[in-house]
Amino acid sequence: MKKDGAMSKRVFPVVFMLVITIVFISITTVIYTYTKDQIALNERLRLKEAVLYSAGVSLPDDPAKVERIYDERVEEVKDDSGRVRFFAVQNPDLSSTESFVIIKTGAGLWGEITVTVGFDMNLESFIGIEILDQNETPGLGGRIGEVWFKEQFRGKKPPLDTVPEGDPTDANQFQAITGASYSTAAIKDIMNTAQEYARMEIRNK
Amino acid sequence: MKKVFADDLGANNPVFAQVLGICSTLAVTNVLKNTVVMCVGLIFVTALSNMTVSMLRKYMPSRVRMMVETLIIASYVIIVDIVLKAFLPDISRQLGPYVGLIITNCIIMGRAEAFALSNPPGLSFLDGIASGIGYSYVLLAIAVVRELMGSGSLWGYTVLGDWWTNWSIMVMAPGAFFMLAIFIWVVKGINNKEEESS
Repeated sequence: MKKDGAMSKRVFPVVFMLVITIVFISITTVIYTYTKDQIALNERLRLKEAVLYSAGVSLPDDPAKVERIYDERVEEVKDDSGRVRFFAVQNPDLSSTESFVIIKTGAGLWGEITVTVGFDMNLESFIGIEILDQNETPGLGGRIGEVWFKEQFRGKKPPLDTVPEGDPTDANQFQAITGASYSTAAIKDIMNTAQEYARMEIRNK
Repeated sequence: MKKVFADDLGANNPVFAQVLGICSTLAVTNVLKNTVVMCVGLIFVTALSNMTVSMLRKYMPSRVRMMVETLIIASYVIIVDIVLKAFLPDISRQLGPYVGLIITNCIIMGRAEAFALSNPPGLSFLDGIASGIGYSYVLLAIAVVRELMGSGSLWGYTVLGDWWTNWSIMVMAPGAFFMLAIFIWVVKGINNKEEESS
Protein backbone atom coordinates (compact mmCIF):
# COMPACT_ATOMS: atom_id res chain seq x y z
CA MET A 1 0.00 0.00 0.00
CA LYS A 2 2.82 2.33 0.97
CA LYS A 3 4.58 1.55 -2.30
CA ASP A 4 1.36 2.26 -4.27
CA GLY A 5 0.98 5.63 -2.53
CA ALA A 6 4.59 6.55 -3.21
CA MET A 7 4.26 5.49 -6.87
CA SER A 8 1.12 7.55 -7.44
CA LYS A 9 2.81 10.57 -5.82
CA ARG A 10 5.60 10.24 -8.37
CA VAL A 11 3.47 9.28 -11.35
CA PHE A 12 0.55 11.70 -10.95
CA PRO A 13 2.61 14.92 -11.40
CA VAL A 14 4.16 13.51 -14.59
CA VAL A 15 0.78 12.47 -15.99
CA PHE A 16 -0.77 15.79 -14.98
CA MET A 17 2.02 17.73 -16.68
CA LEU A 18 1.69 15.60 -19.80
CA VAL A 19 -2.06 16.09 -20.05
CA ILE A 20 -1.83 19.86 -19.50
CA THR A 21 0.92 20.14 -22.10
CA ILE A 22 -1.12 18.21 -24.69
CA VAL A 23 -4.21 20.34 -24.01
CA PHE A 24 -2.45 23.68 -24.36
CA ILE A 25 -0.34 22.64 -27.33
CA SER A 26 -3.54 21.51 -29.04
CA ILE A 27 -5.22 24.86 -28.37
CA THR A 28 -2.30 26.89 -29.73
CA THR A 29 -2.01 24.53 -32.73
CA VAL A 30 -5.67 25.02 -33.61
CA ILE A 31 -5.34 28.80 -33.41
CA TYR A 32 -2.16 28.72 -35.49
CA THR A 33 -3.77 26.48 -38.12
CA TYR A 34 -6.75 28.82 -38.32
CA THR A 35 -4.57 31.91 -38.82
CA LYS A 36 -1.54 30.64 -40.76
CA ASP A 37 -3.00 31.41 -44.19
CA GLN A 38 -3.73 34.98 -43.11
CA ILE A 39 -0.20 35.33 -41.70
CA ALA A 40 1.30 34.00 -44.95
CA LEU A 41 -0.86 36.45 -46.94
CA ASN A 42 0.29 39.33 -44.74
CA GLU A 43 3.93 38.39 -45.25
CA ARG A 44 3.51 38.06 -49.01
CA LEU A 45 1.75 41.42 -49.21
CA ARG A 46 4.46 42.94 -47.06
CA LEU A 47 7.15 41.70 -49.46
CA LYS A 48 5.29 43.08 -52.48
CA GLU A 49 4.87 46.48 -50.81
CA ALA A 50 8.57 46.47 -49.90
CA VAL A 51 9.65 45.68 -53.47
CA LEU A 52 7.45 48.41 -54.95
CA TYR A 53 8.51 50.97 -52.33
CA SER A 54 12.20 50.17 -52.89
CA ALA A 55 11.68 50.65 -56.64
CA GLY A 56 10.17 54.11 -56.09
CA VAL A 57 6.60 53.10 -56.99
CA SER A 58 3.87 55.03 -55.14
CA LEU A 59 1.90 52.67 -52.93
CA PRO A 60 -1.92 52.84 -52.67
CA ASP A 61 -3.60 52.04 -49.33
CA ASP A 62 -5.79 49.30 -50.82
CA PRO A 63 -4.02 45.89 -50.70
CA ALA A 64 -5.90 44.75 -53.82
CA LYS A 65 -4.44 47.68 -55.78
CA VAL A 66 -0.96 46.88 -54.46
CA GLU A 67 -1.37 43.33 -55.75
CA ARG A 68 -2.51 44.59 -59.16
CA ILE A 69 0.40 47.03 -59.51
CA TYR A 70 2.82 44.31 -58.47
CA ASP A 71 1.44 41.85 -61.03
CA GLU A 72 1.63 44.49 -63.78
CA ARG A 73 5.11 45.85 -63.10
CA VAL A 74 7.24 43.27 -61.30
CA GLU A 75 9.04 40.25 -62.69
CA GLU A 76 10.48 37.80 -60.17
CA VAL A 77 13.73 36.32 -61.50
CA LYS A 78 14.42 32.98 -59.88
CA ASP A 79 17.24 30.48 -59.89
CA ASP A 80 16.89 26.75 -60.62
CA SER A 81 15.84 25.97 -57.05
CA GLY A 82 13.01 28.53 -57.14
CA ARG A 83 14.77 31.11 -54.94
CA VAL A 84 14.06 34.67 -56.06
CA ARG A 85 17.40 36.22 -57.04
CA PHE A 86 16.05 39.68 -57.75
CA PHE A 87 12.99 41.63 -58.84
CA ALA A 88 12.88 43.60 -62.11
CA VAL A 89 10.43 46.51 -61.74
CA GLN A 90 9.00 48.70 -64.49
CA ASN A 91 8.41 52.22 -63.21
CA PRO A 92 7.52 54.77 -65.89
CA ASP A 93 7.30 57.49 -63.19
CA LEU A 94 11.09 57.53 -62.80
CA SER A 95 13.86 58.54 -65.19
CA SER A 96 15.29 55.06 -64.77
CA THR A 97 12.21 53.22 -66.02
CA GLU A 98 13.54 49.82 -65.09
CA SER A 99 14.93 49.18 -61.64
CA PHE A 100 16.17 46.15 -59.79
CA VAL A 101 15.38 45.17 -56.23
CA ILE A 102 17.31 42.66 -54.17
CA ILE A 103 16.76 41.24 -50.69
CA LYS A 104 19.78 41.68 -48.45
CA THR A 105 20.31 40.49 -44.88
CA GLY A 106 22.85 41.70 -42.32
CA ALA A 107 23.58 41.47 -38.61
CA GLY A 108 21.71 43.97 -36.42
CA LEU A 109 22.03 44.58 -32.69
CA TRP A 110 19.62 41.86 -31.52
CA GLY A 111 19.29 39.73 -34.64
CA GLU A 112 19.29 39.88 -38.42
CA ILE A 113 17.97 42.83 -40.38
CA THR A 114 16.45 42.00 -43.78
CA VAL A 115 16.15 44.83 -46.27
CA THR A 116 14.91 45.25 -49.84
CA VAL A 117 17.26 47.54 -51.78
CA GLY A 118 16.26 49.13 -55.07
CA PHE A 119 18.86 50.10 -57.68
CA ASP A 120 18.64 52.02 -60.95
CA MET A 121 19.09 50.02 -64.15
CA ASN A 122 22.87 50.61 -64.13
CA LEU A 123 23.19 49.43 -60.51
CA GLU A 124 24.94 52.71 -59.68
CA SER A 125 22.59 54.46 -57.25
CA PHE A 126 19.88 53.54 -54.76
CA ILE A 127 16.27 54.16 -55.64
CA GLY A 128 14.95 53.19 -52.22
CA ILE A 129 15.02 50.74 -49.33
CA GLU A 130 12.45 49.06 -47.14
CA ILE A 131 12.99 47.17 -43.89
CA LEU A 132 11.41 43.73 -44.22
CA ASP A 133 12.38 42.25 -40.90
CA GLN A 134 14.23 43.52 -37.83
CA ASN A 135 14.44 42.90 -34.09
CA GLU A 136 16.00 46.19 -33.05
CA THR A 137 14.91 48.03 -29.91
CA PRO A 138 11.46 49.64 -30.43
CA GLY A 139 11.76 53.42 -30.35
CA LEU A 140 15.53 53.35 -30.85
CA GLY A 141 17.07 51.02 -33.43
CA GLY A 142 13.53 50.16 -34.51
CA ARG A 143 13.36 53.66 -35.99
CA ILE A 144 15.23 52.36 -39.06
CA GLY A 145 11.74 51.47 -40.27
CA GLU A 146 10.51 55.09 -40.11
CA VAL A 147 9.83 56.94 -43.35
CA TRP A 148 12.28 59.81 -42.76
CA PHE A 149 15.16 57.36 -42.30
CA LYS A 150 14.38 55.25 -45.35
CA GLU A 151 13.79 58.28 -47.63
CA GLN A 152 17.39 59.43 -47.06
CA PHE A 153 18.73 56.71 -49.34
CA ARG A 154 16.89 57.72 -52.50
CA GLY A 155 19.37 58.80 -55.18
CA LYS A 156 22.46 58.16 -53.04
CA LYS A 157 25.45 56.15 -54.26
CA PRO A 158 27.57 53.70 -52.29
CA PRO A 159 29.83 53.70 -50.31
CA LEU A 160 27.73 55.49 -47.70
CA ASP A 161 28.78 57.14 -44.45
CA THR A 162 26.82 58.41 -41.47
CA VAL A 163 26.34 61.87 -39.98
CA PRO A 164 25.75 61.64 -36.22
CA GLU A 165 23.90 64.98 -35.98
CA GLY A 166 22.42 67.51 -38.33
CA ASP A 167 21.73 67.19 -42.03
CA PRO A 168 24.09 65.31 -44.33
CA THR A 169 26.44 67.57 -46.24
CA ASP A 170 27.79 65.07 -48.77
CA ALA A 171 25.83 63.11 -51.34
CA ASN A 172 26.98 59.80 -49.86
CA GLN A 173 26.03 60.60 -46.25
CA PHE A 174 22.91 59.74 -44.27
CA GLN A 175 21.76 60.78 -40.83
CA ALA A 176 22.27 58.27 -38.01
CA ILE A 177 19.64 57.57 -35.35
CA THR A 178 20.54 59.07 -31.98
CA GLY A 179 20.96 56.33 -29.38
CA ALA A 180 20.98 53.60 -32.06
CA SER A 181 24.54 53.55 -33.34
CA TYR A 182 24.68 49.76 -33.79
CA SER A 183 21.44 49.63 -35.77
CA THR A 184 22.55 52.55 -37.95
CA ALA A 185 25.93 50.90 -38.54
CA ALA A 186 24.17 47.67 -39.48
CA ILE A 187 22.15 49.47 -42.16
CA LYS A 188 25.30 51.19 -43.43
CA ASP A 189 27.06 47.81 -43.79
CA ILE A 190 24.07 46.28 -45.55
CA MET A 191 23.84 49.18 -48.01
CA ASN A 192 27.57 49.25 -48.69
CA THR A 193 27.65 45.54 -49.57
CA ALA A 194 24.37 45.57 -51.48
CA GLN A 195 25.78 46.87 -54.77
CA GLU A 196 28.32 44.08 -55.11
CA TYR A 197 25.67 41.52 -54.20
CA ALA A 198 23.27 43.01 -56.73
CA ARG A 199 25.86 42.92 -59.50
CA MET A 200 26.54 39.28 -58.74
CA GLU A 201 22.86 38.32 -58.80
CA ILE A 202 21.65 40.52 -61.63
CA ARG A 203 24.49 40.45 -64.13
CA ASN A 204 24.63 36.68 -63.95
CA LYS A 205 21.01 36.36 -65.21
CA MET B 1 -14.41 42.55 -5.89
CA LYS B 2 -14.08 46.28 -5.08
CA LYS B 3 -11.20 45.51 -2.73
CA VAL B 4 -9.42 43.53 -5.47
CA PHE B 5 -9.68 46.45 -7.90
CA ALA B 6 -8.82 49.09 -5.31
CA ASP B 7 -5.78 47.16 -4.15
CA ASP B 8 -4.34 46.51 -7.61
CA LEU B 9 -4.94 50.06 -8.83
CA GLY B 10 -3.75 51.68 -5.60
CA ALA B 11 -1.83 50.51 -2.55
CA ASN B 12 -0.86 47.16 -4.07
CA ASN B 13 -0.13 48.39 -7.58
CA PRO B 14 2.16 45.88 -9.32
CA VAL B 15 4.51 48.51 -10.76
CA PHE B 16 4.99 51.29 -8.23
CA ALA B 17 4.10 49.35 -5.04
CA GLN B 18 5.35 45.82 -5.74
CA VAL B 19 7.94 46.96 -8.35
CA LEU B 20 7.08 44.11 -10.73
CA GLY B 21 7.10 44.15 -14.54
CA ILE B 22 9.87 46.74 -14.69
CA CYS B 23 11.57 45.33 -17.79
CA SER B 24 8.67 46.05 -20.12
CA THR B 25 7.95 49.32 -18.29
CA LEU B 26 11.38 50.52 -19.33
CA ALA B 27 11.48 48.91 -22.76
CA VAL B 28 8.20 49.81 -24.49
CA THR B 29 7.16 53.12 -22.94
CA ASN B 30 9.14 55.24 -25.42
CA VAL B 31 6.27 54.90 -27.93
CA LEU B 32 2.65 55.29 -26.78
CA LYS B 33 1.14 53.02 -29.44
CA ASN B 34 3.42 50.11 -28.51
CA THR B 35 2.62 50.69 -24.85
CA VAL B 36 -1.13 50.40 -25.46
CA VAL B 37 -0.71 47.11 -27.33
CA MET B 38 1.60 45.76 -24.62
CA CYS B 39 -0.96 46.72 -21.94
CA VAL B 40 -3.87 45.07 -23.74
CA GLY B 41 -1.77 41.94 -24.27
CA LEU B 42 -0.77 41.83 -20.63
CA ILE B 43 -4.33 42.31 -19.33
CA PHE B 44 -5.51 39.47 -21.58
CA VAL B 45 -2.71 37.09 -20.51
CA THR B 46 -2.87 37.93 -16.79
CA ALA B 47 -6.64 37.58 -16.57
CA LEU B 48 -6.83 34.28 -18.45
CA SER B 49 -3.72 32.84 -16.77
CA ASN B 50 -5.11 33.70 -13.33
CA MET B 51 -8.45 32.12 -14.15
CA THR B 52 -6.89 28.96 -15.61
CA VAL B 53 -4.47 28.50 -12.69
CA SER B 54 -7.35 29.00 -10.28
CA MET B 55 -9.48 26.38 -12.07
CA LEU B 56 -6.64 23.86 -11.81
CA ARG B 57 -5.48 24.78 -8.31
CA LYS B 58 -7.22 21.89 -6.50
CA TYR B 59 -5.76 19.27 -8.86
CA MET B 60 -2.30 20.73 -9.50
CA PRO B 61 0.53 18.87 -7.73
CA SER B 62 2.65 21.38 -5.83
CA ARG B 63 5.93 20.02 -7.15
CA VAL B 64 5.02 20.91 -10.78
CA ARG B 65 3.14 24.08 -9.90
CA MET B 66 5.61 26.55 -11.44
CA MET B 67 5.99 24.47 -14.61
CA VAL B 68 2.24 24.37 -15.14
CA GLU B 69 1.93 28.11 -14.53
CA THR B 70 4.74 28.86 -16.99
CA LEU B 71 3.13 26.59 -19.61
CA ILE B 72 -0.24 28.32 -19.21
CA ILE B 73 1.27 31.82 -19.40
CA ALA B 74 3.44 30.93 -22.40
CA SER B 75 0.46 29.47 -24.27
CA TYR B 76 -1.62 32.62 -23.86
CA VAL B 77 1.32 34.81 -24.92
CA ILE B 78 1.79 32.68 -28.06
CA ILE B 79 -1.91 33.18 -28.82
CA VAL B 80 -1.48 36.96 -28.48
CA ASP B 81 1.56 36.84 -30.78
CA ILE B 82 -0.26 34.78 -33.43
CA VAL B 83 -3.34 37.04 -33.35
CA LEU B 84 -1.18 40.16 -33.72
CA LYS B 85 0.70 38.66 -36.68
CA ALA B 86 -2.57 37.70 -38.37
CA PHE B 87 -4.70 40.81 -37.75
CA LEU B 88 -2.33 43.64 -36.73
CA PRO B 89 0.88 42.82 -38.64
CA ASP B 90 2.27 46.40 -38.54
CA ILE B 91 2.05 46.57 -34.77
CA SER B 92 3.43 43.05 -34.46
CA ARG B 93 6.45 44.15 -36.49
CA GLN B 94 6.99 47.26 -34.38
CA LEU B 95 6.77 45.39 -31.10
CA GLY B 96 9.05 42.67 -32.38
CA PRO B 97 10.42 40.51 -29.57
CA TYR B 98 8.60 42.37 -26.78
CA VAL B 99 5.38 40.44 -27.27
CA GLY B 100 7.14 37.17 -26.51
CA LEU B 101 8.76 38.79 -23.50
CA ILE B 102 5.36 39.16 -21.84
CA ILE B 103 6.00 35.56 -20.69
CA THR B 104 8.81 36.85 -18.46
CA ASN B 105 6.72 39.62 -16.92
CA CYS B 106 6.83 39.05 -13.16
CA ILE B 107 3.33 40.42 -12.66
CA ILE B 108 1.72 37.42 -14.36
CA MET B 109 3.57 34.77 -12.40
CA GLY B 110 3.36 36.91 -9.26
CA ARG B 111 -0.44 37.15 -9.37
CA ALA B 112 -0.80 33.47 -10.23
CA GLU B 113 1.22 32.54 -7.15
CA ALA B 114 -0.11 35.18 -4.78
CA PHE B 115 -3.80 35.19 -5.74
CA ALA B 116 -4.95 32.59 -8.25
CA LEU B 117 -3.71 29.60 -6.23
CA SER B 118 -5.88 30.52 -3.26
CA ASN B 119 -8.96 32.14 -4.79
CA PRO B 120 -11.87 31.06 -6.99
CA PRO B 121 -11.67 31.46 -10.80
CA GLY B 122 -14.08 34.40 -11.14
CA LEU B 123 -12.29 36.50 -8.56
CA SER B 124 -8.90 35.47 -9.99
CA PHE B 125 -9.99 36.60 -13.44
CA LEU B 126 -10.96 39.99 -12.02
CA ASP B 127 -7.70 40.22 -10.13
CA GLY B 128 -5.88 39.60 -13.40
CA ILE B 129 -7.79 42.41 -15.08
CA ALA B 130 -7.24 44.74 -12.13
CA SER B 131 -3.49 43.99 -12.00
CA GLY B 132 -3.28 44.55 -15.75
CA ILE B 133 -5.11 47.89 -15.49
CA GLY B 134 -2.90 48.90 -12.55
CA TYR B 135 0.16 48.11 -14.68
CA SER B 136 -1.34 49.85 -17.71
CA TYR B 137 -2.11 53.26 -16.29
CA VAL B 138 1.41 53.58 -14.90
CA LEU B 139 2.91 52.63 -18.27
CA LEU B 140 0.59 54.92 -20.20
CA ALA B 141 1.44 57.89 -17.98
CA ILE B 142 5.15 57.24 -18.48
CA ALA B 143 4.72 56.68 -22.23
CA VAL B 144 2.87 59.96 -22.77
CA VAL B 145 5.70 61.92 -21.14
CA ARG B 146 8.50 59.92 -22.80
CA GLU B 147 7.14 60.08 -26.34
CA LEU B 148 6.15 63.74 -25.99
CA MET B 149 9.50 64.90 -24.63
CA GLY B 150 11.64 62.38 -26.50
CA SER B 151 10.07 62.59 -29.97
CA GLY B 152 7.77 65.63 -29.80
CA SER B 153 4.87 63.41 -30.83
CA LEU B 154 1.99 61.38 -29.44
CA TRP B 155 0.71 58.20 -31.12
CA GLY B 156 3.06 59.01 -34.01
CA TYR B 157 1.50 62.44 -34.67
CA THR B 158 3.72 65.50 -34.24
CA VAL B 159 2.47 67.58 -31.33
CA LEU B 160 5.36 69.85 -30.45
CA GLY B 161 6.60 72.05 -33.28
CA ASP B 162 10.05 72.83 -34.59
CA TRP B 163 10.72 74.97 -31.53
CA TRP B 164 11.03 71.81 -29.42
CA THR B 165 14.41 70.05 -29.18
CA ASN B 166 13.81 66.35 -28.57
CA TRP B 167 15.24 65.04 -25.31
CA SER B 168 16.96 61.94 -26.66
CA ILE B 169 17.46 60.58 -23.15
CA MET B 170 13.69 60.21 -22.86
CA VAL B 171 13.58 57.53 -25.57
CA MET B 172 16.44 55.63 -23.96
CA ALA B 173 16.33 53.39 -20.88
CA PRO B 174 17.66 56.01 -18.41
CA GLY B 175 14.70 58.24 -19.28
CA ALA B 176 12.35 55.42 -18.34
CA PHE B 177 14.16 54.93 -15.03
CA PHE B 178 13.84 58.64 -14.22
CA MET B 179 10.15 58.77 -15.11
CA LEU B 180 9.35 55.64 -13.10
CA ALA B 181 11.31 56.92 -10.11
CA ILE B 182 9.48 60.26 -10.23
CA PHE B 183 6.14 58.43 -10.49
CA ILE B 184 6.94 56.23 -7.46
CA TRP B 185 8.19 59.26 -5.52
CA VAL B 186 5.01 61.26 -6.19
CA VAL B 187 2.68 58.38 -5.34
CA LYS B 188 4.55 57.45 -2.16
CA GLY B 189 4.58 61.11 -1.15
CA ILE B 190 0.81 61.39 -1.56
CA ASN B 191 0.26 58.11 0.32
CA ASN B 192 2.52 59.22 3.20
CA LYS B 193 0.71 62.56 3.50
CA GLU B 194 -2.65 60.78 3.65
CA GLU B 195 -1.36 58.44 6.36
CA GLU B 196 0.01 61.36 8.39
CA SER B 197 -3.23 63.34 8.15
CA SER B 198 -5.32 60.31 9.16
